[in-house]
Amino acid sequence: MTETAREAILGKLRAAPAKVVPERPPLPPMKEASLQGEAMIGFLMERLAAEACTPFRVKDSREALARLTEIAREEGLNCVMTSTDEVVADLDLPAWGRANDVKVLNPRQFADREAYKNAVFDDAQASVTGASFVVAETGSLGMAHGPDNPRLLTLAPILHIVLIPVDHVVPALDAVVGRCFGRPGKYPSQFSFATGPSLTGDITGYLFRGMHGPRKVIAIVIG
Amino acid sequence: MKIRTEQFNELAAVEIDKARARPFLKMVPEFMYRIRNAGMPTLPDPPAAQKYAAAVRAEVVSRLPDLLEEFERNATANGAKVIWARDAKEANDFIVGLAKERGVKTVIKGKSMISEELGLNDAFKANGIEPWETDLGEFIAQQMDLPPFHIIAPAMNITVEEVRDCFMDKAGMKTPTVDPVELGYAARVFLRDKFHRAEMGVAGVNIAVAETGTVINVENEGNIRFSKSAPRILVSVMSMEKCIPTMQDAVDMLRVLIRNCTGQRISAYVSMESGPRKQDELDGPDELYIVILDNGRSQIYQDEGVREVLRCIRCAACVNICPVYRQIGGYAYGGAYSGPMGQTLMPLLFGLDRTKDLYRACTLCGACASVCPAGIDHPKLFLTYKAKDVQGDPQFRTGKRPAREAIAFKLWGMGVASSRLWNLGARLFRPFFNWNAHDGKVSSMPGPLGAWFRKRDLPKMAAKPFRDRWEDIKRRKP
Repeated sequence: MTETAREAILGKLRAAPAKVVPERPPLPPMKEASLQGEAMIGFLMERLAAEACTPFRVKDSREALARLTEIAREEGLNCVMTSTDEVVADLDLPAWGRANDVKVLNPRQFADREAYKNAVFDDAQASVTGASFVVAETGSLGMAHGPDNPRLLTLAPILHIVLIPVDHVVPALDAVVGRCFGRPGKYPSQFSFATGPSLTGDITGYLFRGMHGPRKVIAIVIG
Repeated sequence: MKIRTEQFNELAAVEIDKARARPFLKMVPEFMYRIRNAGMPTLPDPPAAQKYAAAVRAEVVSRLPDLLEEFERNATANGAKVIWARDAKEANDFIVGLAKERGVKTVIKGKSMISEELGLNDAFKANGIEPWETDLGEFIAQQMDLPPFHIIAPAMNITVEEVRDCFMDKAGMKTPTVDPVELGYAARVFLRDKFHRAEMGVAGVNIAVAETGTVINVENEGNIRFSKSAPRILVSVMSMEKCIPTMQDAVDMLRVLIRNCTGQRISAYVSMESGPRKQDELDGPDELYIVILDNGRSQIYQDEGVREVLRCIRCAACVNICPVYRQIGGYAYGGAYSGPMGQTLMPLLFGLDRTKDLYRACTLCGACASVCPAGIDHPKLFLTYKAKDVQGDPQFRTGKRPAREAIAFKLWGMGVASSRLWNLGARLFRPFFNWNAHDGKVSSMPGPLGAWFRKRDLPKMAAKPFRDRWEDIKRRKP
């Protein structure tokens, strides 16, 4: 019987002289890991700004909608696509869209993939989404993608508006381990951290935002 | 890409004289080194974090077969299909075969050095499939038919005028501009249609988590996320050493990898695939294939003296600090991997006989090892390769050294072991040596020593050696 590539490769690795597994030295914890309460939210606001997001803090959902109205006017939005996660669902954005003359799409309206892709690539001027959690340490949006928050929604439109209730903020990146990878068989098919607008320095080292992903990310922290 | 490692000296000689690349070489590696150094203090104890990362990578190498099997088991449980490839041909045959079977016409690719190592683009093109590099730097390099100049910034040496001409010619740009932002936007517009329509995506892998069967990519542009999210088929290609034990390890390593790479706390995007899309999801791949590539690495694994090269996490910290890279840039290395990272890996992949000049192009200053978060001792490896090259090691395809070299070193060994022979040799050599002197120094020599003097010189030997002069002094003393 012919040896498969798998057998050949693993066979060679197993036949190699074994090496003792070295002991790991201690790893000092990130100091951000101990952040909590207002200090954590304050740090998040700083990180969001440092990562070239446009951060706002509002008191409640009503103020969040008012801020969204201002953004829509300033950015000239007439078509947005929203996620259907709990944060966005609570705001009733279809009603907000009707009141502000903004067409509000969501991925669940599309029965087939191609129609959704056409809309998210070509029609939506912005996406309005929540996030599974938001990391103060880095100012990153942690997104477990699924039917309520598909992958391309936070990537294809040139503007991403993210709504962040304060109870969705966590101190450090390590939260992903327990929140999304704690239960075998229940992992999200894609999880992503998104931190600020997309970025490149590939032409002569000149750094600019807005390469392939969103050029602008607006974060509205609620609470 | 065509591997040209055996032409290192010729390529380096060409590159060192290229005035066009000089300003970028002077500026960009230094800039990247500085932003790395500025980013490291955002860790609570940077040396401790580097040490920890090195220990994790050492552990990975020690446990590699177990971790690969664990990764395969969990990735398969997630719904991915894991393919093992012994070499580039097996990997390319599988990926191209899959594309043909699925009727794929267009492939979008995230920046991946492993696919450069495979020569995957050529394999696609030979089979009538269009591969599109989507990282801006890789896109420019692909359109200009150039290899990567730097692992992180593959086209950093290309001037804006050249990019403008290239985009006018090949990327549908209508209005000429030399503004980097506008040029970037032109590429964005051009590639967006590819993201939208391509049937297959190909990406490399930065980290593969054994515990969860997850593959992780780190990037800033968003092109890898597009390549992994829009097409119906995704092929993730990983070299076998990318495995890591747990998701917590992945988080710890991300912090170190990204800071060493670009000085950022985190890159703009980190995406983690654990299987294809689920039934109720609208986007993401229907099929996820993970190709685990050997291509000589299991051979490297056999040799405990060189195994540590598999610890590398491709952060490029060693590249940016290397005084040799800063003079010659990336093309001279003749393969996908440049700088000390490439000088340690490529000789073992392609043979010590094809890379003789590559691993000798080192000042042994140790700067690379001082910044390496994986704890690789590059200078020690270069010395090991030189020793293998002289002593012969069929495992890594050492060539035959010239007989006169062995004779010369035999004589040298005898000479330095005996003061009588040494003095006699010096006395005989002096007239010949000084005959080549001009203005008190020797800058060239005929015969086999000539190569040494190509970039160096030595002062003329004194008419009377110090030893004889010392005797004279002693005699003159009252």
